[in-house]
Amino acid sequence: MMVLVFAALLAAFACGWRHKTAAAIGLLALAFVLAVALFLWEIYSPQYGFAMPWIQVERAAPHAATGEG
Amino acid sequence: MRADAEQSALAFGNYLYQLLILTTFAGILTAAMAMQYAFGELPCPLCLLQRAAMFGICFGIMLDFRERFSYRNVGLSLLNAVFLLVVSARQSLLDIYARPGHAYVGSTVFGLHMPVWSVIISVLLLIAYALQLAVLGGDRDLPNLPASTCPKLKRAGEVVSLYVMALLAINLVSVILQCGFGQCHTFGYALLHG
Repeated sequence: MMVLVFAALLAAFACGWRHKTAAAIGLLALAFVLAVALFLWEIYSPQYGFAMPWIQVERAAPHAATGEG
Repeated sequence: MRADAEQSALAFGNYLYQLLILTTFAGILTAAMAMQYAFGELPCPLCLLQRAAMFGICFGIMLDFRERFSYRNVGLSLLNAVFLLVVSARQSLLDIYARPGHAYVGSTVFGLHMPVWSVIISVLLLIAYALQLAVLGGDRDLPNLPASTCPKLKRAGEVVSLYVMALLAINLVSVILQCGFGQCHTFGYALLHG
């Protein structure tokens, strides 16, 4: 999929250079959609989903630990 | 229509600004590729997506130089700048807390790793475009001033655009060698190891 992203980008540049603007923007849009899809696929974890529990900084509030409030 | 001298100054300032942004990104991409080939630091999948976003930013500027300045082209670059920010922020957060199997890959530049630099670069670019739109965005004549109004800047912009295209072509070959048509890894070039 990464190959497709870069291939679509290069084709977009080539079309833009040759003044085929509509085709160039279409190819850039294709590259962008593929890149977003690949990004979501890369960061998805079967265990955590899209969450990042390792940066969870929430701690039990003092009143919860002591049973107050 | 205003005086020709005033229009020429406006076009010159605008295209010079675009050329500075394009040249900066050409330099950043060159540095990334130099670190890959000279020091053997293979880019991770999210790193490659950040490179793709940087090429997307350059694309909008290249269209400005090939034709004329357009707010549509600014929009294309901004869209890629936001994507660069999202990907780099997520990668920075991914490795921000040391845990087994997760650490920032690659060497540092002034103590900061590549995804952190990408966050800074994307924010600076967003600020640069915000300033450009705030200062020049209200001018009705700007989209009517083709790059050929400033022949030397147009030529320079096209040369840098060609250079960026060459970098992109090298990157495509590199991605084919590293990832093949499957998932990308940083262990080595998949197609070179059979």
